[in-house]
Amino acid sequence: MLFANRGQLARRRTRATSSPAFAGSQSNGDRLALLRRHKPDHWLIVLCAILLATGLMVIYSISPALAQTSGVSGSYYVERQILAIVLAAIAFFVTASIPLERWRRSYKLLLGFAILATLVAIALPVNPNYPAHRWVRLGSLSFESVDLLIFALLIWAANFLAIRLKNGTINNFKKTAYPLLIVMLVVGFVVAVTQSDLGSTGVIVVMLGLMAYVAGLPLKRIFIFGGIIALGTFLAIIATPYRRARLETFLHPDTNCQTTGYQACQSIIAVGSGGFTGLGLGSSVQAYGYLPEADNDSIFAIFAEKFGFIGSALLLLVFGALFYRIAKIGERAPDDFSRLIVFGVLIWISVETVINIGAMIGLLPLKGITLPFVSYGGTSVVFFATSMGLVYQISRYGSHVGPDRDRLKLMERISGNDYSGHRRRFGGAHNPGFGGRGRTKEA
Amino acid sequence: MANPTGPLPASVSIARIRLWSGLLVAVIIIFALRLFYVQVIRYGHYSQAALSDQLKQYQIPASRGLIEVKESGNIVPIVLNQRLYTLFADPPFIKKPQTVAKQISQIIGGNPSSYIHALSIKGTQYSVIANKLTQTQSKAIAKLQDPGLGTQGQDFRVYPNGDLAAQVLGFVNNQGIGDYGLEQALNPQLAGKPGMLKAITSVTGVPLAASRQNTQIQPVPGDNVVLTLNIGIQQQLQQILARDYKTTKSQGLSAIVINPYNGHIKAMANYPTYNPANYANVTNSRLFDNNAVDYPIEPGSVMKTLTTSAALNIGAIKPNETFYDPAHWVINGFNITDIKQDGGAREQNIASILALSLNTGATWMLMQMSQKGNTVINGNGIKIWHNYMVNHFRLGQPTGIEQGYEASGYVPPANLNDPSINLRYANTAFGQGVSITALQLVAALSSVINGGTYYQPTLVNELITPTGKVEVNRPKVLERNVVKSSVGPELIPLMENVVKAYLHGGFSFMNFPSNYIVGGKTGTAQVARPTGGYYNNIFNGSYIGFVGGNKPQYLVVVYNIKPAIPGYAGSFGGQPVFADIVHMLINEGYITPKN
Repeated sequence: MLFANRGQLARRRTRATSSPAFAGSQSNGDRLALLRRHKPDHWLIVLCAILLATGLMVIYSISPALAQTSGVSGSYYVERQILAIVLAAIAFFVTASIPLERWRRSYKLLLGFAILATLVAIALPVNPNYPAHRWVRLGSLSFESVDLLIFALLIWAANFLAIRLKNGTINNFKKTAYPLLIVMLVVGFVVAVTQSDLGSTGVIVVMLGLMAYVAGLPLKRIFIFGGIIALGTFLAIIATPYRRARLETFLHPDTNCQTTGYQACQSIIAVGSGGFTGLGLGSSVQAYGYLPEADNDSIFAIFAEKFGFIGSALLLLVFGALFYRIAKIGERAPDDFSRLIVFGVLIWISVETVINIGAMIGLLPLKGITLPFVSYGGTSVVFFATSMGLVYQISRYGSHVGPDRDRLKLMERISGNDYSGHRRRFGGAHNPGFGGRGRTKEA
Repeated sequence: MANPTGPLPASVSIARIRLWSGLLVAVIIIFALRLFYVQVIRYGHYSQAALSDQLKQYQIPASRGLIEVKESGNIVPIVLNQRLYTLFADPPFIKKPQTVAKQISQIIGGNPSSYIHALSIKGTQYSVIANKLTQTQSKAIAKLQDPGLGTQGQDFRVYPNGDLAAQVLGFVNNQGIGDYGLEQALNPQLAGKPGMLKAITSVTGVPLAASRQNTQIQPVPGDNVVLTLNIGIQQQLQQILARDYKTTKSQGLSAIVINPYNGHIKAMANYPTYNPANYANVTNSRLFDNNAVDYPIEPGSVMKTLTTSAALNIGAIKPNETFYDPAHWVINGFNITDIKQDGGAREQNIASILALSLNTGATWMLMQMSQKGNTVINGNGIKIWHNYMVNHFRLGQPTGIEQGYEASGYVPPANLNDPSINLRYANTAFGQGVSITALQLVAALSSVINGGTYYQPTLVNELITPTGKVEVNRPKVLERNVVKSSVGPELIPLMENVVKAYLHGGFSFMNFPSNYIVGGKTGTAQVARPTGGYYNNIFNGSYIGFVGGNKPQYLVVVYNIKPAIPGYAGSFGGQPVFADIVHMLINEGYITPKN
């Protein structure tokens, strides 16, 4: 039994060693022993597909309304979204198959592209309908530069923090906290001020801050960060009239329904009028021009109007399941870099989800942030798929080891895993499946 | 041998990841609770809020009844409807004003740059770009599928005959309500009942697919109105007024041709006039007035026909009676005189009172009504004459014709305590100190000519309901015994005599073919100063008369406001217009000659 396992481990070790993803990244032999390629977490694909299909269905069902209010043909939005999903699928599998180590090495290139794209977006003349310098337009293609920037910063920060961890300088203010702070300030200035995109700035700052937090940056530093961020946000809101108006709107939604609070009012009306069971797939009224950005930022409200409490609660559950899977993959990630990557992706997706849904149900101010995988829009779908591709790749190499795990139980789990058919329905050999059966067993 | 189960050196804190995961779980639970609150507990509130935005109520306008006339047995419309469209923009939705302006000008013409302002105006969601688009143009705009453009249909009145009977017809204002004339008076019948549509709509008001909330009530179209007007007479009358307005240097001409036996108006016109299709461009709103019914004046000596009728009716005078005319009466210390050309004090008769238009003669008639054979005015005569003016001839009150803004005029009350009541009433006997409309005058004299029945003057022959049912407007008798039936035949030759006297006096245009009877009476009325008293150089000219074969067929009244032509306003301002109208009626064959 033990031998058999050992043999298995040995075989896997060779595979893992030959895997370029982790070649040279680990020096510890014990560690390598646990690095073996296994089945990836297919739940990621299933959950993302559910979200994409949900978004596509809503976009399809409101496309007559979108066509009526924007004057394009009825199939325009659906065709564009299908194209985005195809591109996203390609991006997902390409990202998943390019070894992580290569991603890690190319962070400078990615950052270079992201900075270039941001500069181009700032330099390009703006569309009068969206008077913000956020878009890079190449012929008929266009994308939001900030999504590329977040992706590049994700890889940069994971690498930066992993190196600091390895060198033991994570607590060194000058070497760790200081550069992070500089990056946050620069990005904050460029994205929030020049591109007027406070929402994305928030996502970036929270992502970098929390990555630093899980990497073990002392809490004192985190508090300093938090204080600076709070001050920066406060200044950003005070300095721009439309942000002040949005905050005012958020605090007193009902009194501003006809003016600045129009979208906030209409979104909660859409959600509330859905009731328990919803108006039905084809029966959204708010999409007919009442609720702005019905296909995009406001898609959750339209979904809630159509499918009611039951539907929206289920959608929350799907998001919850996705976060759970990503968090689990993060916990089992084989090294600091990949763990930080997975956790960064989790923060990116979950923060955008929370900001978006929170605004739609009147708990947060409107921020112009899309709902991951559900909202219409190629850039967001493609970049979330790309980041999920990284997570998917890492899910192949997950170990079940945590610092709090008892060795014997770990071994039991590893060996038992090979024989328990029910755990193999989906995904990794080390998957406890939904509900964490493994944990109850070990408790 | 490496220990395969050794702890990983990963220093990224799983505890901290779990803290974040736990936070996410908490947020998702809060979101779910919030959703439950918004969608289940507060469902009623938000569904009402949604409905109050989404459920819109529309009036479906009823199509307005047509206005028609009978022409040789056929019904011919003179006022029709045409659905025209207003093009409006919702500027925030207009992405490229330049391009859209070009598209619009390709469809409706005009310079693209003239539309750009309305397309890009800030702070409104409704900006009118152009009015009165045709249905074809409206459909072409709809084909652009621009969410910022819309058209709104509205029925507009169309007038195939231009300004024909403009002031009689009135117009329909941009709220769809009749204003002035028939359109105002018959608005309830013409307008019909609007329908209603309650529907869930898009934000721009386009009703969405049928839902439980959608209800619709069909509109009921208005009745069609067939007028009594004779379109031929009306057209020619308008031409005559336009011409004579210039030749008599008038400030306003009104005339009516009426059938005295049923009160049907055959023609009614004023000059100057306007084209109701362009009512919105008319700057002088007085052009909308139908002065024939809404502009009472002191009529002057035309009133003597009614004074004579009343006096004949009560036997105060006889048609061939003579009397001595002292050429002036002193009443309440005031001289009532005739004009010098009439030859001063001498024997006169009833015919010469009318032919020479003797004010002293009219005053004498009032004296005879007071006490036969005497030359004083007393309360008895005043009461009788007041009764005739107000109750028999129905002066000083609206006739009830189907016209907006009909005026009532003024008859002084028979207040015997008034120290100058005698003078006041002597004046009314020759048409001063009393104000009446042309219609009141002609309707009153009609009742004398037709044998004593006062028919309410009317413009409506019949109403045709949307189902095709014809409701004939029967002549409405307002007063049965205005005068005895013998008075008309006595008055007719007296009025014929007036025409002959003028012909002999050199008014050659008063020469009519001998197989027709034509009678009349001039009126030259002093115009009251607003401050009291009368102008001594400004007069209104009036004329009342009839034309027929064996008996009078039509009565014609003319009011000429302040004609500047030299000579007496009645003789030179009113009379030639009357003559032109009668010649036209005879020459065009509208009058059946004597057999």
